[in-house]
Amino acid sequence: MRRTVPRSTLRKIIKKYKPQLRLAANADLLVHLNFLLFLHRLAEEARTNAFENKSKIIKPEHTISAAKVVLKKSRG
Amino acid sequence: MLKRVIQTQPQVSPLKPRISNHEGTEEASPELPSKRVSSMGELQLPDLAAEDTFVTVFHLNKKRKKVSISEFERAADKRLFQNQAQSTLDNTTLFRSLRMSVGSLMAPDTVEKRGLLRRPRNRKAIDMEAFEGGVEQNMLKSNAQNYLVDLQSASGIRTTMMTSDAEIVLNNTELFVQPQLNERSQNKLSALGPQLSHSKTPAQRSKISDAAQDTAGPEGLVSGVGTDEGRTQRHSENSGLDQEHIDRMAPVSPGTPANQREDQQDGSQQSNPVEQVSVHEEEVAGSVCRLSSSLSSRSSSKYLGSPVTLNYSSMSLREVVSQIIEDLEVSDSEEEMINTVNGVEQEKLFREAAEHGASAGYSEHLEKELAEEAELQITAAQDSRDKTDTAPSAGEGLAEGSDGPHVSPGAEHETAKGVGAGSLDRHSDALSSSEKSGMNPLEEDDEQDVLEDQAIMLDLDDPEEEPAEDESEHPESQEVKNFESEVRQCRLDLEETAMGSSQQRREVSMKTPAFVRAAAHNPLLSAPQDEKPAAPKSLVQLLKPKQVPGRSGTSQRKPREPQIARSLIKEVFSYFVKMPVTREAFKIVEKCSEKYFKQLSSDLEAYTSHAGRKTVEMADVEMLMRRQGLVTDKMPLNVLIERHLPLEYRKLLIPVAVSGNKVIP
Repeated sequence: MRRTVPRSTLRKIIKKYKPQLRLAANADLLVHLNFLLFLHRLAEEARTNAFENKSKIIKPEHTISAAKVVLKKSRG
Repeated sequence: MLKRVIQTQPQVSPLKPRISNHEGTEEASPELPSKRVSSMGELQLPDLAAEDTFVTVFHLNKKRKKVSISEFERAADKRLFQNQAQSTLDNTTLFRSLRMSVGSLMAPDTVEKRGLLRRPRNRKAIDMEAFEGGVEQNMLKSNAQNYLVDLQSASGIRTTMMTSDAEIVLNNTELFVQPQLNERSQNKLSALGPQLSHSKTPAQRSKISDAAQDTAGPEGLVSGVGTDEGRTQRHSENSGLDQEHIDRMAPVSPGTPANQREDQQDGSQQSNPVEQVSVHEEEVAGSVCRLSSSLSSRSSSKYLGSPVTLNYSSMSLREVVSQIIEDLEVSDSEEEMINTVNGVEQEKLFREAAEHGASAGYSEHLEKELAEEAELQITAAQDSRDKTDTAPSAGEGLAEGSDGPHVSPGAEHETAKGVGAGSLDRHSDALSSSEKSGMNPLEEDDEQDVLEDQAIMLDLDDPEEEPAEDESEHPESQEVKNFESEVRQCRLDLEETAMGSSQQRREVSMKTPAFVRAAAHNPLLSAPQDEKPAAPKSLVQLLKPKQVPGRSGTSQRKPREPQIARSLIKEVFSYFVKMPVTREAFKIVEKCSEKYFKQLSSDLEAYTSHAGRKTVEMADVEMLMRRQGLVTDKMPLNVLIERHLPLEYRKLLIPVAVSGNKVIP
């Protein structure tokens, strides 16, 4: 498992989209947590799709349909 | 014992043993006859000389059979070991041809060999039904080794060898197949004789049966280990190739049908192994297309096909454009993928077009197409944020070459829109949104024109960005300056990513003075005039052979887009999904995460501004997670932190009480 969270990269990404937005001290760790949970959801959804397809490998189409669902869910 | 007998059966010629052994063996094994019948068809063809030995042996044994079954057993064992090396090949080829002959042979034999018929009949049924499932299962189980293993008469190790050999076969089929085939061909050359004259369909059917046999194989060592292995070897080659080299095979498949017909039958032994590999590839490609359409969806095949075709410079640009149109017209779900492909294709095209030397006559086309391309890009870009690079490029090219009257007003709109929709969202949301409505009616007309035109030249140089009408809406000079600086930034980014060639840099440096010059003037006045000199200049630039990049003005820094590390995404996703993931799926996950970050940032901004703050706090992020449904009353945030974040960060986030009346953080 990775040990260091890419904190600076996260900050840069948020700056790219919202340059006027500031981040609190450890807020980017929570953002990273959010990202991990998002990937978790995406992985579960993709896995479900692959099982439904009786495939033992995750294929792009599984991922795409999973992404649609999960992105909608994580809009807040 | 029965299995052993069955294995040895095929070597016996049909006539003599049938009569002699019928009484003897019927009570021993009902399965024997099946073997006999199966072998009957092919045995007519192979050399009788080779079988005479078996026959004699069998006869000898047969006498003893009357004495006791145990002795028969021993004989069977003996025969098995003798024949094992040879049985494999015989069975493989024999069984394939068997399919044809079984039907015809079954009828006359029914009377005598009712018991014998059972097994082949069952096998055939299994073949057709279980094939689909068998294909899927066997895709990963390649076992070219089995052949070799069998040769060494170590049959029990088959399954263990299968997976390990899968990779070998996948990676290195030709090298692997060749030595094996040579060995076996030497062994079997005499035995096989004229087996090559079978038609294609039985071969395919036999292949199907082979695959099905593989699934039926584990049921028992039916028809000898060798046959299964021979089949599985071929099938493994097919499946391994199928999975890994599907795109490679697509161009290969139309290649050599003649070889396929010849080489299929005798399998791997006698024909050129190299040919056979390609044959298998063809077969796999064909079978894949036929049987497992799910493997390659339309989009993915298109995706694979279009870059391949585009790379062939022989294709006319019109065809390329039409291809791009097709790609763009694909369903929405694949829009993004195709857009990326589109962008890639277009960049390639542009490069090629530049190299092919666009003449002055193209300029008009160029302008129109630039406009159209920009629009296409823009429409795509609005949906997917990924197109920040391409949109500004298109916008830039557009502004550069837009001399055409009908294009220029649109071009300027588009430029602004393209740039705005691209990486300038934060600046010109109002700008883009206001223009969008105006743009839409223009887009449809332009799109058609562009796509019909042949020459596509994207000028990736720095065009004059100032869209006259747009700028008028925003009279603030500051915004214009920001706009320009960001455009330049985007341009630099784009150039680095898209072209990365000296030509580009040269053009950049050439354009910047013009750009700066134009920026200084009132954009309303200067835009149309500046574009005209810029357009021919850019054309000339592209037409000239590669020159030494004369860097003046801005230094090429290589500003990188901040991206989450691909390795991190791969690691995390693989860990969570616990299944093998294709490379394309990873790319989609990356894109998805980019989209996600965009959503996330806008949400956080909304929450923060709602609270009247300018800094995102922990509470805001927690609110976001609550809204997403990740944090509930049942699942508090701290639990999630404990679960997913490493220790150092946990300490930072969760207040920990330490002795001495201290609380960390």
